[in-house]
Amino acid sequence: MIIKKITLPILTAAIILTSCGDNTEKQTEVDESKIDSTLTAVDTTAAIEEDHDVTYNLPSALHIAYVFKKSGSAFIPTLLNSIDNVNKYNTSNYKRATNFGVYSSDLAYCLFNKKFQESKNYLKACKDVGSFLGLNQAFDGDNMAQRFDKNISNEDSVVKIVSNIQLKTDVMFEQNKQKHITVIAFAGAWTESIYIASEAYAKDKNKKVLTNLLEQLLLAETINKALKHYEKSEPEIVNLIASIEKINSAFKNIPAVKVGLEKDEDVDYATVTVTESEFKTLSGLIVELRKSITE
Amino acid sequence: MNKIFKPLLTLFVLVGLMSFQGGDTILCDAKQLKEKAKEGLDPYKYDSSELTRIMYKTKETVKEVEVPLFIGEKYRFCFNMEALPKAVEIQIYNKSKDSKNRKLLFSSKEGGIDRKVIQFEVSKSRQVYIDYIIPPTETGSYSGCAVVAIGYK
Repeated sequence: MIIKKITLPILTAAIILTSCGDNTEKQTEVDESKIDSTLTAVDTTAAIEEDHDVTYNLPSALHIAYVFKKSGSAFIPTLLNSIDNVNKYNTSNYKRATNFGVYSSDLAYCLFNKKFQESKNYLKACKDVGSFLGLNQAFDGDNMAQRFDKNISNEDSVVKIVSNIQLKTDVMFEQNKQKHITVIAFAGAWTESIYIASEAYAKDKNKKVLTNLLEQLLLAETINKALKHYEKSEPEIVNLIASIEKINSAFKNIPAVKVGLEKDEDVDYATVTVTESEFKTLSGLIVELRKSITE
Repeated sequence: MNKIFKPLLTLFVLVGLMSFQGGDTILCDAKQLKEKAKEGLDPYKYDSSELTRIMYKTKETVKEVEVPLFIGEKYRFCFNMEALPKAVEIQIYNKSKDSKNRKLLFSSKEGGIDRKVIQFEVSKSRQVYIDYIIPPTETGSYSGCAVVAIGYK
């Protein structure tokens, strides 16, 4: 009887241990989900096993906003997606992920424009949408909220805090084998970022803003290549790829861009001229994509 | 007492043996590996990171990571190669492995491919391609992972 009582749990432990033997990441995954019970919020059946010969490392929303700020564009608060929309997005993984990206871009835009109270509000929006994706742990650990409040007027410190959150979310998606969510979220972040840049250019006609917009548009091709790896993981991805492709085509049809690409040369976008009608086509497509994500 | 301890001992031995079943497969702890790579970025700000699963096969294989960059920005790449059972060479190019006229920007051979933490800095590039050159193995079928963290300033 005693033997039975002792050996049964040990045997169970042995089976659990050895079943993880071939894939140590599975073991980490189990441990993580124990720590954060909210991980069940995400449909874990969507976990994707991947083994591609080529992968894509996409930049962060924070880095894009950092580069954009150098163009000297003024802060336009009306361009931000309202934080009141948060609850609208808890409908599908696609909607959660793209809008997590949108709010990440808005947060970064506020941060590098030293709009610290707004940054706090957008961090909360990221946290709320992030919770729909099972990311509570990334936002709750290390007294993040208190540290953010304490350092709210210190750009470097706040950027560090947000970078740490980003690393944690990257790791959580990795551990949950949900790399596709990272890519979809980045597509959302990029859409918001090019939306802000194109609207800012439409308003001020600042040439440096246009140059930055064109540089950001170069990312379209890489995003689509990354999305194509996960085409079947969420039903909305096919349409997202098509919308990004339309923007990419309009961009590549700008004569100076076209010539540079055909010659396989590095184009200096500071010297590229974009006509009013070319810009209108581009910005129309950007607004359309952004609307499809945020509405 | 033997009635209790004999089966227990057998079970412990069994658990011990079974836990080594994975052979040369190394634990890929994404959190630990990425955090360590991030430490190597200082004073650069953390931008992003990529964990690449490395499967050793009976012939040499290449895994590529495409990294878009903003021209004019300064970047540091910090690789954490701790979770690899056999050293993998890192090569960085200006074009993808399918391109004909690509230029090698960096190889971890200079300085030794056995290093666990490797740094590389670049500016004035719009795109770089990290190639992990995975050596062949006789037995095949063991794995690990390589991590790169990217920082900007």
